[in-house]
Amino acid sequence: MSRTSSRRAFLGALVGAAGVAVEEAAAVERSGPPRRHKWGMVIDLDRCTGCQACAVACRAENNIPIAGATNTEKGRSIFWMNLLATSEGTYPDLRQQFFPTPCNHCEDPPCIKVCPVGATSQSEDGITQQIPDRCIGCRLCEVSCPYTRRYFNWSEPSWPVAWREHLNPDVAPRPHGVIEKCLFCHHRIRAAKARSRAEGRILVDADVRRLPACAQTCPAEAIVFGDLNDPDSEVRRLAESPRAFRLLEELGTHPKVFYLRDAKWQE
Amino acid sequence: MAGVAAAIPRAASDDVMMLRHLPLSGKGFWLSLVALAAGASALLYGFLLQVLHGHAVTGQGSHGAIWGIVVANIVNFIGISHVGIAISAVVRILRLERYRQLARLAEFVTLAAITTAVLNIGMDVGRPERFIFNVVWYGRYHAPFVWSCTVITTYVVGSSVYLYLAMRRDLWVCSAKAPVRRGFFRVMSLGYTDTPASRARHNRVVWWLAVIILPIMVSVHSVYGYIFGLQAGRPGWYNPFQAPYFVLGAIVSGFSAVIIVLAVLRKAFHWEAIFHPRMFKGLGIFLGFVTLLYMYFLFSEWLTGSYASPEGERVVFRDLLAGRFSLITWSAVIAGMLFPFALLFVQGVNPRMCSIPLTVLAALLINVGLWTTRALIVVPSFYHPLLPWDVAPYTPAFSEWCIVVGSFFLFALLLLVMVKMLPVLELPEDHEGAGDGWAPAMPFWKQASVGGSAMAGMVLIGVGVANSTRPEFFHPPAIWLSGILLLLSVPFQICVLPERARRRVLRQAHGVLSSSQDVVVGVQSRLAFARQARVGRYLTSASSRAIKAPVLKSPVLGNRPYDKLRAS
Repeated sequence: MSRTSSRRAFLGALVGAAGVAVEEAAAVERSGPPRRHKWGMVIDLDRCTGCQACAVACRAENNIPIAGATNTEKGRSIFWMNLLATSEGTYPDLRQQFFPTPCNHCEDPPCIKVCPVGATSQSEDGITQQIPDRCIGCRLCEVSCPYTRRYFNWSEPSWPVAWREHLNPDVAPRPHGVIEKCLFCHHRIRAAKARSRAEGRILVDADVRRLPACAQTCPAEAIVFGDLNDPDSEVRRLAESPRAFRLLEELGTHPKVFYLRDAKWQE
Repeated sequence: MAGVAAAIPRAASDDVMMLRHLPLSGKGFWLSLVALAAGASALLYGFLLQVLHGHAVTGQGSHGAIWGIVVANIVNFIGISHVGIAISAVVRILRLERYRQLARLAEFVTLAAITTAVLNIGMDVGRPERFIFNVVWYGRYHAPFVWSCTVITTYVVGSSVYLYLAMRRDLWVCSAKAPVRRGFFRVMSLGYTDTPASRARHNRVVWWLAVIILPIMVSVHSVYGYIFGLQAGRPGWYNPFQAPYFVLGAIVSGFSAVIIVLAVLRKAFHWEAIFHPRMFKGLGIFLGFVTLLYMYFLFSEWLTGSYASPEGERVVFRDLLAGRFSLITWSAVIAGMLFPFALLFVQGVNPRMCSIPLTVLAALLINVGLWTTRALIVVPSFYHPLLPWDVAPYTPAFSEWCIVVGSFFLFALLLLVMVKMLPVLELPEDHEGAGDGWAPAMPFWKQASVGGSAMAGMVLIGVGVANSTRPEFFHPPAIWLSGILLLLSVPFQICVLPERARRRVLRQAHGVLSSSQDVVVGVQSRLAFARQARVGRYLTSASSRAIKAPVLKSPVLGNRPYDKLRAS
């Protein structure tokens, strides 16, 4: 490093004004490239009341079509955010626990490996994305997801006429025959990034803590969103707490959605 | 070659007997054509239901069976498609003269089954209109689906080339001896000339193709095993055993399908003299052996899954063996494997029990049993996701049954069309020991074409594989698939490109020219050529254009007769 710097200094002395620019470049090099975001979510199960407001907000935000009674009965309803109801113990000592389950945005997602057409991929910020226009609907990703967090459009989406004006213009509806999934409200993340750039500052934790629709809506404030790469973010602090765990960790998918719970889980 | 003499009857009336399946006449043919077409339309109906009303018309669901019986059907037909070429290749490589006449029929079974299977895949995916283009254009090297696309393409093209080259001489014979459509056979034989040299060349090329096709055939079904076996998040599927298990299943169901088809055609066209009952006994014994092996694999899988495996796996196998699927499982095993195995075993050990109807019955039962086993591989896993989601029970819906039943009809329909259009039996050769000779060396331009295609094919495959990590720019599957197609065109070129015709044309043209110096070279030579060639003139017409091309001063082309003409 020192040799490079001295050479740069020497060159700078030679070419004058141009040398200043080189020095600046060297300074940027020393401080390293700008930090990448790694979006993650922490859901505090001890706060969660199981009210399903997150799931409802998600439907409204992301234009998720209404499946109807028959299709819901046959498991064809789409939920980007859903409540997994589990029960512990047997009848007299029965306890129920709700897990709000968005996509886990695994760091090593099985779904991306099996997608034949690259319709699903990982963004630079660690979001598992989906391109409905490219998807061929083979459902291999849905089959491979151990959390069942991907949904196939079993029919053409439809909304009652009166509801259509309430559709979110930021999110395109998906046609029949493709897969869709939770995207961590990436349209909101993009908007927040654009806003902070316009204001000439970097994105901070306070901008994104309640950014996704589910986190914004949660009345118990159980859902926290943020940058896991930011050492000062709340989501990072909570994810490192001893109460934190992730779903099906033994599979090695490294989910970026953490759950907090005091009591030990007993099946 | 004594075996050939014994197996193939020689009398002139035998040609009539061996080609009597060709005319499109008879009440039986039209009735079966109408019935099969009507049945195959069910496939279209099921597909249309899905297109018009969405996949919601099926019994599947995201929290339910994500894949259903159509996927089981795909696996079944891919499996059946294997064995045709396997039988044919083994017969050719090991020179099993007794089964020689079975080879072509088995190849037809392959092509009909793989067509049906690919149609089924197209009907199962959500967006059939993008399915093939996107997989080829945007394909990712790490996806088992892309592997399957690659190996299936290789397999379809390879086996078509193989089928054609092995059949080319018979097409040529048909153009002279067939009761009908001689013009069609003449076109189809693409200018074949029946010389010992061309026979030897065809035999060698087809032998090598057989050697190459066998591993491809193993790979196709292995890849289907991998589509299931690599899913760590799917209890009941995640299993290193899956690939050999699928290949074995393919052999079992393919052999049973071939036995059934063979018995039907033997009856329909009265080919008792050609397909001796001994052949059925041999096929039956082999089928019994692979069925036994399959049951052993099944037992081994079930024991592993239910002994002390993780809870997630164990619930699936408990459901399969003693739960809601147990009735289907055990009836498939007992009626579809154990009982037919017993039937085949008894026939194998006791020659007096040996009968074709019994063998066919066993094959039918095994086919149904194997189809059910495939459904039992696909579906039960969805009842037990790793997280405790509520799961909607799966009942195959009308549209799915339409597709499944229609597929079997379509398979039979395609077979019927191929059997009626093309010669099924290998026609007897006039020369004793034909095909044992050596083919002469190919002319330089043909060597260049063949070698160039082979090189270009390998380069393309290399470029595709080397750039597989940059799919958005290079579209690697498209590159390596075109390489594979080029490579597979090599055997076709070796056999089909003309080589003798050109030299003869030149000699003729030279003779004409030396008699009268003032004729126009191109026209005269083309006329001479037209008189000379009898078949396939459209293909060889390229060589007359080559004559008109400017002469190159090269040591190879230097002895062309026009050099003298131009010099004078």
